[in-house]
Amino acid sequence: MIILKHLKVDDVSYVSHKDILRVLQRGLKRAKIDVKYSQGFVPHMLTYTTTPVPLGVQSCAEYFAIDCLDSDKDDVMRRYNAAMPQGMRATACFYKDKNPNLAGIVVASDYIATCAEVLPKEIEKIKDLDSYVITARKKGGVVEKDVAALIFDLKVDGNKLYMRLASGNDNLRADAFIEDINKKFSCDIKINDIVRTAQLVKVDGELIDAEEFLK
Amino acid sequence: MSGERALDKLKDILLKVQKPARYVGGEYNLPDMEKFCEERVCLCFSDKYEVGMSNVGTRILYHMLNDTEGVVCERAYAPDLDMAALLKENGLPLFSLETKKDIKEFDLIGFSVQFELQFTNIVYMLDLIGVPYFAKDRGEDIPPIVAGGPCVVNPMPFADFFDAVLIGEGEKNLDELVKLHRECRKNNLTKSEFLKKACELDGVFVPSLNNPTKRAVVEDLDKAYYPTKILVPNCDIVHDRSSIELFRGCANGCRFCQAGFYYRPIRKGSVDTLVRQACELMDSTGYDEMGLLSLSTSDYPELKELVDRIKVEADARKVKLALPSLRLDSFEAEIYEEMQGASLTFAPEAGTQRLRDVINKNISDENIKSSLISALKYGVKNVKLYFIMGLPTETEEDLQGIVNIVKLVKYLHSQYGTSKLLNITVSTSIFIPKPLTPFQWERQISIEEMRAKQEFMREKLRIKNVKYSWHGAQSSVIEAVFARGDRSLAKAIVKAYELGCVFDSWSENFDYDKWIKAFEESSIDYQKFLEGFAEDDELPWDVIDNGVSKKYLLAERKKAYEGISTPNCIGKCNGCGANRLQRCGL
Repeated sequence: MIILKHLKVDDVSYVSHKDILRVLQRGLKRAKIDVKYSQGFVPHMLTYTTTPVPLGVQSCAEYFAIDCLDSDKDDVMRRYNAAMPQGMRATACFYKDKNPNLAGIVVASDYIATCAEVLPKEIEKIKDLDSYVITARKKGGVVEKDVAALIFDLKVDGNKLYMRLASGNDNLRADAFIEDINKKFSCDIKINDIVRTAQLVKVDGELIDAEEFLK
Repeated sequence: MSGERALDKLKDILLKVQKPARYVGGEYNLPDMEKFCEERVCLCFSDKYEVGMSNVGTRILYHMLNDTEGVVCERAYAPDLDMAALLKENGLPLFSLETKKDIKEFDLIGFSVQFELQFTNIVYMLDLIGVPYFAKDRGEDIPPIVAGGPCVVNPMPFADFFDAVLIGEGEKNLDELVKLHRECRKNNLTKSEFLKKACELDGVFVPSLNNPTKRAVVEDLDKAYYPTKILVPNCDIVHDRSSIELFRGCANGCRFCQAGFYYRPIRKGSVDTLVRQACELMDSTGYDEMGLLSLSTSDYPELKELVDRIKVEADARKVKLALPSLRLDSFEAEIYEEMQGASLTFAPEAGTQRLRDVINKNISDENIKSSLISALKYGVKNVKLYFIMGLPTETEEDLQGIVNIVKLVKYLHSQYGTSKLLNITVSTSIFIPKPLTPFQWERQISIEEMRAKQEFMREKLRIKNVKYSWHGAQSSVIEAVFARGDRSLAKAIVKAYELGCVFDSWSENFDYDKWIKAFEESSIDYQKFLEGFAEDDELPWDVIDNGVSKKYLLAERKKAYEGISTPNCIGKCNGCGANRLQRCGL
């Protein structure tokens, strides 16, 4: 099992997750990576991703696991990078005997949101609240949701907001959270200026970067 | 607005529109946009990204120009209505996908015009680019805007929007036009001086000069430019696959079919070239499917060898082959079984042998029967049948013939079918007497006749597991008007656009009443284009020599009325005249 850590930046950040899966799989074919296929009636490539970033949000920490016969991770990464569009290059590659099931064990993601203006420090206080309700768009309308338990950390440094938000099975969408902040604190952070910088897994009660976990 | 500020605004807009991936480019195999460049061209496609990206012709020209030294070519597609509204609201012009550049800033702008119902989209895009609609109103500060594509068979309705119209195959004349423009700019020639020189090139029609123009065609498909490192889109498009072109032109001469005559002379690629192109495309794209394209695939003389050789390569790469346009008479069950799976598409076009002889669809009742039996034995579950209504000399008996074919399919399924259930889909379109066909002098049936025929079919095809769908009568009228019209129609196109007509080929946007109002307000009697032409009438498109001679078309028309069919020209030339342009033959 090869796991690639890759970017999703610039123009590619406007490509939906469903389309990204197709882009990835076509890339694997171009890279001639010997991917295993399912044995069902309609065989499909055995590939796995983690919780996607919302449309427009950029990422430096996407993970893509490939069940394949190749085991030379450096060679796979070289071939993968030569076969992918701009904005989806791999930055690290790992080999594991077994599928680490990242989608099941990632619990948080780190993001940096950059604003043209200096951001108010009060934003940081949100993390200490027992209850914090945001309105988020959902299919068919707008819903209210208490997300206090899903905000792990917030730090403002000048025009940057560093966020650690729940990711995976319990998930807080970075775009929905930023839209709420824009409204409540009269900021103008653009969704395309949010970057996911890391995904974190929980090991022995501690959050560690998925990249460290895979090493 | 500065470029940077425009890009910032664009970022905001992109998250407010549907499918933003359509507007950002960044596809795999993107050519080098930073290379040394003396001529920057933008190719505009007058429909949405997912349609434009599926078009093989534009794909060839895009890569051909980018592979030309000193030339960079970018793309623009008609943005969807939500995007267009936001561009206008934010004071942004239409931009190119690759470098997000204002299209007015290019040295040369090209439009691909694929379909009569896209004509308002030309005006829509010119509006978004921010230039006057008519070429005569555009000054030296605006680059020349040229058009090409299949609709140039009769470019008259839209000719006045363009400085030049490229008649024929772009591989032959677009790069020459680009070279010429580059030279003219170096020598500080004016736009009109450039256009005077341009009409000396093969297949360049300059509407302001109304110069008689002969269609430009490539000599040899084997030597013609064909890209094997093509753009692979990041989002879903209509035909999301790579493709190779087996041959251009068609030998069958169905008398209603414009493509069949327009793309003559017939030129084919060799098996070796096609296999090489197929392998390179499979490797460079990663697509799961490859189309083997032509107007009548089974006429390719070495089809079996070609498919066998490509299939070995495709299987190794887990790529599925698609063979559209197999003719009913040459249906090869073996190939069919491999390629098509559980669905079969047949286009007998007319319900009776008599009418098929009139339209020169050279397939007999016996062919239909034997082909269906083979298909049903292979376990086909879906049969799609395509017919045309309103053909010259058509009677109720011919419509009843369609019903009889459907009943025959059902009967044959009960006798030979190996699948439990058989779904039959019958689709009818309305006959449009298109230019450059033997039926170009015919009238189009009235909208009342169309509806009566559709009603007849609806009643008769209330059969279990048979689905009947039909092409809109109203859109067929508009399509016919613009296929056969003259230069007076340009003002009606602008008027229709001003009334809100755009993306007319998308049924949800088509508004017939607005079109009728546009004709009225432009004082155009559109009905006159639906009536037949006399054989000695001067036709609006006569200034264009598309290859096939008028004499041949008239002779074919005469044979149609006599119910005499013409055999295909694979073995023996029928003398249509297309070989005046280039050597012809399979």
